[in-house]
Order: sequence, then structure tokens, then C-alpha cells
Amino acid sequence: MSRIPAIGLRLVQLLPVLIGITIVTFLLVKLSPGDPVRLMLGDRATEETVAAVRAQLGFDLPLWKQYLSYAGNLLQGDLGQSIRYRLPVLDLILGVMPRTLFLATYVLVLSIPATVILSVVAARHAGKPVDQIIRILSVIGMTIPVFWLGIMLARFLGVELGLFPVSGYGDGFIDHLHHLFLPALSTSVWLVPMLVRNLRASILEQMEADYVVASRAKGLPARYIFGRHILPNSLLPTLNLLGVMIAFLIGGSVIVEIVYAVPGLGGLMIEAVLARDYTVIQGLTLFYALGTVIVTLSVDLISTWIDPRVQL
Amino acid sequence: MSTSTVAPLVSIRNLSVDIVAAGSAVPAVRNVSFDIMPGDILGIVGESGSGKSVTCRAVLGLLPAAARLSGQILFQGKDLATMAESEMEKIRGRDISMIFQNPSSHLDPIMKIGAQIGEPLRQHQGISASKARAAGIRVLEDVRIAEPERRIDSYPHQLSGGMKQRAMIAAAISCGARLLLADEPTTALDVTVQARILELLKGLKESRQLSIVLVSHDLGVIAQLCNRIMVMRRGEIVEQGETSTIVADPQHEYTRLLIASQPGRRQPAVRSTATHAAPILLAVRNLVVSFPRPAGIRETLTRSDRTFRAVDEVSFEVRSGESLAIVGESGSGKSTIARSIIGLIRPSGGTLHCDGQDVTALTGDALRRFRRSAQMIFQSPYDSLNPRLAVGEAIAEPMIQHGLMTPKAARHRVGELMEMVELSPDLARRRPHELSGGQCQRIGIARALALSPRLLIADEITSALDVTIQAQILDLLRRLRDSQRLTMIYVSHDLAVVRTFCDRVAVMKGGRIVEMGEVSDVLGQPKEAYTQELLASVPKLFGADPVPVEPQHA
Repeated sequence: MSRIPAIGLRLVQLLPVLIGITIVTFLLVKLSPGDPVRLMLGDRATEETVAAVRAQLGFDLPLWKQYLSYAGNLLQGDLGQSIRYRLPVLDLILGVMPRTLFLATYVLVLSIPATVILSVVAARHAGKPVDQIIRILSVIGMTIPVFWLGIMLARFLGVELGLFPVSGYGDGFIDHLHHLFLPALSTSVWLVPMLVRNLRASILEQMEADYVVASRAKGLPARYIFGRHILPNSLLPTLNLLGVMIAFLIGGSVIVEIVYAVPGLGGLMIEAVLARDYTVIQGLTLFYALGTVIVTLSVDLISTWIDPRVQL
Repeated sequence: MSTSTVAPLVSIRNLSVDIVAAGSAVPAVRNVSFDIMPGDILGIVGESGSGKSVTCRAVLGLLPAAARLSGQILFQGKDLATMAESEMEKIRGRDISMIFQNPSSHLDPIMKIGAQIGEPLRQHQGISASKARAAGIRVLEDVRIAEPERRIDSYPHQLSGGMKQRAMIAAAISCGARLLLADEPTTALDVTVQARILELLKGLKESRQLSIVLVSHDLGVIAQLCNRIMVMRRGEIVEQGETSTIVADPQHEYTRLLIASQPGRRQPAVRSTATHAAPILLAVRNLVVSFPRPAGIRETLTRSDRTFRAVDEVSFEVRSGESLAIVGESGSGKSTIARSIIGLIRPSGGTLHCDGQDVTALTGDALRRFRRSAQMIFQSPYDSLNPRLAVGEAIAEPMIQHGLMTPKAARHRVGELMEMVELSPDLARRRPHELSGGQCQRIGIARALALSPRLLIADEITSALDVTIQAQILDLLRRLRDSQRLTMIYVSHDLAVVRTFCDRVAVMKGGRIVEMGEVSDVLGQPKEAYTQELLASVPKLFGADPVPVEPQHA
């Protein structure tokens, strides 16, 4: 089966989605209350100045013309100017994005092995004390609010024990790891239980599958059957859940980033919202949407790689 | 073949298996002893719950964790019953291997066939992946899969049911096993495919000096392949011996019942009423039913034809009081026809006339009236009943829904209907899971009869039932058909049942009717090659020609 053309077609299918996203982000600013020109110029500007700036920025044109020019600018990588900072939005976003991506990757690196290990242990000892302990910890992890856990971890591991910095991003890779450990941990504590519940159930279901008995009848050892047959077959539902969660994570980075004062996308978003910096909000929305599209596409691609029955 | 001087391959002595559930032990196999001789094809026949599969799995130590086993399973001087798991793993797949009923679920869906066939080779002989692949291609040739070099890289879902079963057999024999345990290996397959798999097993027995234990509910399959038969019931062996002896001269009452229940054994009912002159009740003209094909992106873009014709220009008539059989293999469109007649599926073309009315054009009250006159009985008795509804309510439901009766009157009528299907009205308060499969199917029939239909459509109604139950249900239907003057459409893959139960038969393949006519003509002297192949594939209990069909009309 040729997978390359299928991927190409899938990308073509994404075009309408992307166009839809740009329309929504465009309207987002147009429909929001308040006049951005007023916001730029301040309350004391005269009507004439406002009108002149409006004409200069093209805000007096019909909506569809404005959209076309917006879309044209997007194609050239121009997301407009931040109303507050008077800097290109793209530069602002690209400037802080690596930190958020670093944090998100960090969360995944912590969460995925933990999820697999805990799920396997829980499923192999289903109903036994180990499984019960994992279940109780999962419920606790899911019910603790991330912001509270963040504050508590910062207080005890950070301030009292001085093991980790409680704010900032640090310089250099190792320093990033050190600085972002607590934010990544508090996010993982919330993410892992959800994935564990899902994967554990999926493993238990696959352990009952007929091909497991057939594999035993071939003389294959239990450990091999588990690793080579049961686990790969169990991953798919959890992978799909993970995809949704990652999309959530990018948007959900706001809380952790604020609690730990990590200057990432979340911090930028809060600032932009408070300052009514519409062009930045618009740019961030576009990035979040793009991120979700990319994550979904990746999950689908990985799914076809794991399970040949899945069609793109 | 087996003489007393040859040592048995496997000796089973006093084997008992209890399944422990909720603190109490339910016996699944009781004190069973038998030998498997080299070169044997031993058939174990029995109905569901007879312990035949459990016995088979016990030999390989594949029982569920809740099973408690006692007795001896002697193989090459060792007792498999007490053997450690690590020792057992060396025997499984190398000396003794097993194949299963449903090849689709017993193969790992996300692993290539080649890798799955290579697994036992790599495990037991420690050979490299590339050598295992080469060996796998040779084994695929042995199980007669065409283009083995290409097929070895297929995933299970890319193969047909028959090919999947061949692949499973290939994995089982790849290490040169001495004994193959085959647990209902053909039950999920179409009859023509079944015939080819059985032939393959017979060939492998000769070419590889393989002994085979064949577990089946189908005495016909067993009799066709096996030299020895063991009949099991309720965990016990009731009779064992040479096939010819058991079939010709069964000693045990239960064996006699099994043989008598075989559909081919029953004489066709001589129908009292000649139906030739009766008016046409249902006329189907050029019926087409299309389904959308699951479309990939490529098909969407190229706008290629995305419909699949499950039923392709089919025409037939059913006369009042007649029983028409629609036979064919899976995917032939037979059930789709049945469903489109009662309006569960909307036809994409053609007409359906019932009593001169165009059924596809009916709306409102007229449609409700038509639905009352045509009722259906379904394949799986459990799945077609709401598990939370008492069966009496299930029978009463259509009468109340159609506004024919008050709930009180309906309750009285339920009692009558249950007696009509030979069930005690006391069972009306039970839920479906508290009844047996046969009882549930009787409930299904009672519910279909509740609206006093003229046309009764039976869709594979006996294929989920044990053969003795199947015989009882068919007897019941025969009586009801006569007393209620029912017109029937009987959809089935089982030619033996059709032969004794129906007046006319339509043979379907690929959505079309290939041959249609009187049962005695079509199944007696089939004209079409496909009908001949179907008939030749039906396992015969006596190895001879099918039981002669008596003339239907005086």
C-alpha cells in the first residue's frame, strides 16, 4: 500500500480546514467589542485622526477585501503588529513558543513512560493491591487542581527544600530541564492518571482476546505475548486520547506558566487578553488551531503505522 | 489403522475439569479417558457445553485460570497435566499445536501473517527472522495459499476467512507438530470453503504424518474426515469407536438422537396443499439494494462508483402458503433481500408487490398494515430480544404498539402464543438470559406470530442452535406453517435443512439468483455449476449420496 499519496491527499484535505481557521481568527477581531484604532490611538485622538488611521490600515474597506488582505499577509508570514508592543505578532509568538513547546515535550517525556509502566503493572495485577494503589493515586492525581498542586510543589520542593527553582525558564538545556521540572511534573500528575485508566482498560480487554490463546498455543512465552501482541494492540485508543490531551495541553499551559512564571505562550496570552491586544490574540488563536491540526494529523499517521486497518 | 501394538501418541486418563465460579465448582469434563493414536483423525462431537473444547484445551494446558484439572494427560512418557508452564511452552506449537474456530479473532490484527507464522519457528528453533520468513513461504505453499511470497506480507484483514484459517494452520504445522488439535476449525466458514479446508487437513495428515483431533458440533463434518469418533455430552464420553460403526450402528441413545437430528436424515414433509395454483402473495421485480462502499480519499477525489450492489436485479415470486428458501454463502445478499422485504432496508431499485400492493410506495396506515402481515425471525435468539424485557412483554409489545389490544388482553394472548410455540406460559416473566437458546428462539417465533402475519421470514434461525434443538425448532415451524397457513421465506446457508423444509429454492451468489426452482429439481439435479459445488461441499454423514428426496406432489 502506498502511504505517501494518501498522506498528500490528507494534506490537501486540510486546506479547507486551514482556510476555515483563518476566517474564524479574522472574524474574532472584527466581531470583538471595541475599536482597535481607538485602542491604538488613545481616547484623546480626534475623529479625523481615527478616520485617517482607519483608512491607512484599510479598516474602511468591505469585510471580504479586508479578509483577503489578511490572508495574503498570513501567506507572507505577516500576522500584523501587536497593538501594545508595536512589534510584529509573529516575532512575539516565535520568541516565546520554544518555551511552551519545551514544556509540552517535557510533560510527554515524563508522562508517556510513566503511563505505560503504571498501566502495565496495574493490568498485570488487576484487582490486586498494586492495582488498587495505582487506582487510588490516579483518582487523587485527577482531582487535585493543577494550580493548587503547582503552588504546593513550588512551596515544598522549591522553597522549603530548595531542590528546584520555582519560577523562570533558565539558560541552556540543562537549566531548562531544572527550571521546568516542577511545571512539567504538576501537569503530568494530572495527565498520567487519565491515560493510565484508558490504557489499563485497553490492555485488560486485549488480554482476553482470542489471539492471546492462539499465541499461547504456539508455545510463545507470556512475556513475549504481552510485549509483542497485547501491548501494541492496546495502544491505539490511548494514542487517540493522548492526541486530544496534547491539544488541550498547549492551550492548558496558561495556568502552569502563570503559576511558575514561565514566559511562554500562556503568559503571552494572558497579557494580550488583559491588554486587549487583539492582533496578538488573533495570532495565538491561529497558532493554537494549527497546533491542534498538526497533533491530530500526527496521531492519525501514527495510528496507520500501528494498525494497518486504520485508513487515513 | 490403530492397532493395539502401536503405542498411543497421547493417553488421557480420568481427566476431569471443573470451572470454579463464585466459589462453586461447575464440572466441565468428568472423568474422561481416551487415546489418540499416531495417524488418527479423532473426531470429538457434541453440543455446546458438552466439554469437547475444554478437553481439547486441557491437552495443551490452555484452560482459563478458573479451571481445576485432575487426571493424567500422557505424552511421550510425561504427564502434561502436571507439567510446569515453562516445559509446556516447549511442547506447544512444536509437538502439539492447535487451531481455532474463528480465524479472524485468533490472528493478531496488526501483525503480518508471515511474522505470525514465523513466531513458533523462531521460538522453538531459534532461527533468524529471514530464515523464518523463507520457511513461512514454504509452509504457506503446503497449506496451498496462492502467491505465498506476496501473501506472507499481508495483514489478516487483507485475507479471506478461508485464507486466514490456512494461515493459522500454517503457523500450527510450521514446526512439524505430531498432533494438531482443531477446535471447530470450519464452523465460521462457508460450506464450500469448509470443504476445501477439510480436504487440506486430510492431505496434511498424509503428507506430514500428522495426527488430528477434530472438535466439531457437526456430525457430518466429523464423519467425513475422521476415522474414529468420540461423542460427548455434559462432560462425559457417551460413546466412542470407529466412524463407520458409530454412524451405522450407534449404541447410545444420545448418539442415535444426534444422528436422527441431522437435517439430511429427515424425510421431507409431504405437503398436503398443492401450492401451484395458489395466488401470488409476494412478487419481487428487479430488486436492487446498494450500499455505499467505504470510500477512501482517492475514490472520493476520482468520483469512482462508490456503491456496492448487495442485491442485483433479483426477481422472484412467492405463492400463498408456499415456503421459499433463499440459500447462498455469506455475502451473497440473501439476508439483504429478507430485510428489504420487511422494509428494514430501503431498496435502491425494483418493486416489491405484496398482495398486489406496491410495498415500497406504502406510507402511514397502509405501511403499518403491511408490516403486520410480514414478520421476521432472526438468527441470534438472544441478540434479537431486549435483555431487560421479560419475554412475555417482548411478545406483547408488537400487539400493543400496533394498537390491536389492550395490555390486559395482550397478556392473555401471550399465554396462547407461548403454548402455540410449546413453551409453558409460566416462563413469560423470565428474561432472555434465563432461557436456553432454543427457548429464546421459540419466543422469537411467538413474537413474530403475535400479529398473525401472512408472510413469515426466517433469517438463518437455526444456525446458532445445536443440532437437536434445531430439529425441534424446525418441527415446530412445520406444524405452525400448516396450522396458521403461513407463507414462508426461509433464508439459510444449510442445504440439508432447506431440502427437508421448503418447497422451492433460490440459490444466490454475488447478489444474483443463479438457479431457482422446486427443491427436488434444484437440489436433486442441479443445472448450474455453483449449485453443484455447493451441494458437493455439504458434509455427508454416510459418505454416500444425499438421502433421496421423495416426490413432493402427488
